[in-house]
Amino acid sequence: MTTSTALRMTGISKSFPGIRALSDVGVDVEKGEVHAIVGENGAGKSTLMKILAGVYQPDAGTIELAGETVRLADPIEARRRGIGMVYQELNLVPDLTVAENILLGSTPARFGLVDRRALRAQARAVLDELDARIDTDDLVGSLTVSQQQIVEIAKVYAARPAIVVLDEPTSSLSEHETQSLFRIIRRMTEAGLAVIYISHRLREVLDISQRVTVLRDGRLVETRPTAGISAGEMIKLMVGRDLTDVFPKREVAIGDVVLEVTGLSRVDEFTDISLTVRAGEILGLAGLVGAGRTEVARAIFGLDKRDAGTVQIDGTEVSIRDPRDAVRAGIAYVPEDRKRDGIVPQLSIKDNISLAVLDRVSLAGWVKGGAERTLAKDKAVELTVSPPAIAPRVDTLSGGNQQKVVFAKWLAAAPRVLILDEPTRGVDVGAKADIHTIIGNLAAQGTAIIMISSELPEVLAVSDRIVVLHEGQISAELPRGASEHDVMHAATGEVSS
Amino acid sequence: MTTPVPPPPGRTINRGLFSHYGARLGLPAGILVTLIAGALVSDRFLTVQNLTNVLINMSIIGIIVVGMTFVFVTRGLADLSVPATVAVGGLLVLGLESSIGTIPAAIVGVLAAAIAGGINGWLIGYAGLNPVITTLASGTIVLGIAQVFVGGVIVYGDNTEAQAFLTGRVFGVVPVIVLIFLAVVVIGHLVLSRSMLGRWSYAVGSNPSATGASAVPVKRVRAIAFLMTGTLSGFSGVLLGITLQTARPGIGTGYEFDAITAVVVGGVSLLGGSGTVLYAFGGLLFVQLLTNIMVLLGVPTEPQGLVKGALIVGAVAIDVALRRRGGRE
Repeated sequence: MTTSTALRMTGISKSFPGIRALSDVGVDVEKGEVHAIVGENGAGKSTLMKILAGVYQPDAGTIELAGETVRLADPIEARRRGIGMVYQELNLVPDLTVAENILLGSTPARFGLVDRRALRAQARAVLDELDARIDTDDLVGSLTVSQQQIVEIAKVYAARPAIVVLDEPTSSLSEHETQSLFRIIRRMTEAGLAVIYISHRLREVLDISQRVTVLRDGRLVETRPTAGISAGEMIKLMVGRDLTDVFPKREVAIGDVVLEVTGLSRVDEFTDISLTVRAGEILGLAGLVGAGRTEVARAIFGLDKRDAGTVQIDGTEVSIRDPRDAVRAGIAYVPEDRKRDGIVPQLSIKDNISLAVLDRVSLAGWVKGGAERTLAKDKAVELTVSPPAIAPRVDTLSGGNQQKVVFAKWLAAAPRVLILDEPTRGVDVGAKADIHTIIGNLAAQGTAIIMISSELPEVLAVSDRIVVLHEGQISAELPRGASEHDVMHAATGEVSS
Repeated sequence: MTTPVPPPPGRTINRGLFSHYGARLGLPAGILVTLIAGALVSDRFLTVQNLTNVLINMSIIGIIVVGMTFVFVTRGLADLSVPATVAVGGLLVLGLESSIGTIPAAIVGVLAAAIAGGINGWLIGYAGLNPVITTLASGTIVLGIAQVFVGGVIVYGDNTEAQAFLTGRVFGVVPVIVLIFLAVVVIGHLVLSRSMLGRWSYAVGSNPSATGASAVPVKRVRAIAFLMTGTLSGFSGVLLGITLQTARPGIGTGYEFDAITAVVVGGVSLLGGSGTVLYAFGGLLFVQLLTNIMVLLGVPTEPQGLVKGALIVGAVAIDVALRRRGGRE
């Protein structure tokens, strides 16, 4: 065995009651290598990483760190042995400064008091090593999500790990921010660290990694050099079938204007937004993170107050002060943040699906159990929610299925206008294709759809028309067939030719 | 409502069977063990007379427990104004019955408490104030007004017929007051498990943000939980006043603590979103049986408080542990 191998996991198996999460999975990572792990949700990536992090104990298999067989009894042990985990959900304290967060747990002290100067200097040194330009005195809460992500990485890096695991690090980053993250990853590998990179974004995997390991249903499919593989092949390995087109576009007859927004403004967020969506039309809302896309959607749906502007449905002005008004007017919103605004975790699939339209399956305030079950079952089946039962709690489902439940909830409301905010974020390839089919079907039924996505290829493939936002204003409206280049031009505020 | 189903197959995140069934079976098992232990340590325990006494003692507090369950489920923390609203009900029914009659006086008592509960609800649900501070403050204010109303003295009743009715027994076995209590439990259980309000209450307690984004009137649901607790506490105070035929401003002292103990021991989460009225009832039954055994054994009051306090801490610790085990990815 060469000493250049940072990590070797061999024959790892893990079962939970009723579920075999991993069987005989092996992976090895070289020093200085970015090793990507891909697979659908539920393929076993998270379980494998939790075993590496000491959260779970494997039923079988061995873990070797730099050639030494180890037992990672708990997360503290794993950290002590040089394993750094950067999770999708950041573990930062918003009310502390960047420096305090980076050195949380190893804060330099003198006479029992925090040594501020040393704290700043040490944090600065870590950030400089990563070539990250963030002020050590800023409060973490005041940073953008991408900056917070960098602070999180710096925090893990400050503990001097040998192996860093990045779990979906780019799911909330724009293209540009992703590139600066990649710079930081490259700095880490130049310093001899082994990086494990988990992502659903296959283009990024191709960009950043040297080798890729594909998991499917808890088994190892293959480990290959990234250089010799295409995104299409990766998808094929992940799902075990061909997805001829990742974003199939269904051709639909486009009808009359359903939603017309005029002069919508909200102080400090967006100004004078006017747009229309027709029946059966999918309007893409593009722009960089922070351009105001989500804010516009939230204001139309009544989640945030607007300072000016009107909303018309079928030519009639509707007053929308809260989501209740919006739902009554026939507007539905699949939110960006599924955990916060989408699912009610402790309720069942059924209860989640019927939540927005409980009055339609109730009589005098009492829920009609039969009518509710029928409604929930119909929608769950229509959306191929897995498992096909409606009694399990929603928080037992995978991310893709939770998203389908959110869709089902709004389908149950039979909306005229459906606003989709990052509908496929953090969702595996199979569920993504399902969701695109659902969107196509809804359009075919005459629903007017607004779709927000940070994945440009997705917006381009799905939309009939694209409105691009830049710093809270509409910078361009592009027809179907516009190129990625056109959109990026408008989104970055450069004058397009 | 939801029928039990086998654990779903396929791609689900494991939650552990213990967290699912452990929480459900723990309480009935505890009650059973307490019954057996009680029968073993005291020959007076398993008698109709004693158990009927336990039920009567439960009734007054139990009506409040139903309201408190809604407060917990909606993540409203707790209603600490209970002693005041109980006193309002008790003082008004006895203070007014000689001038307007017992039933109108009872209605006034319940309405006054309902107004206090409604104000709590508005401040917490709509104005977004912290429930603990709000109900602590409103309770003090309401109690102050009640004291001014009666001049700080004890009020005596003069309708022994009403007293006899409430304590009288249907078919010579079950006291009327117990039937009233059981009716409140059944209605409360149905509302929480079968009505729109009930569903909304769980949703608000589980994830208020997503619930609001699903067109549910979150503020109203939060407010109603406190309105209900105020109303039911007032009703409970009315019944207490009539039963005792005497009321003083401190009549409801400790009821908030006993109600919270019952709800927490019944496994209703302080973090909202789960628990049922029947389980809160079970929690109350457990605590009352335990207290009864201690009384029969001649345990002094102070150690009794110790046991109740320990029960709360234990129940909350179990709740938190179960959530850690099963609730997070």
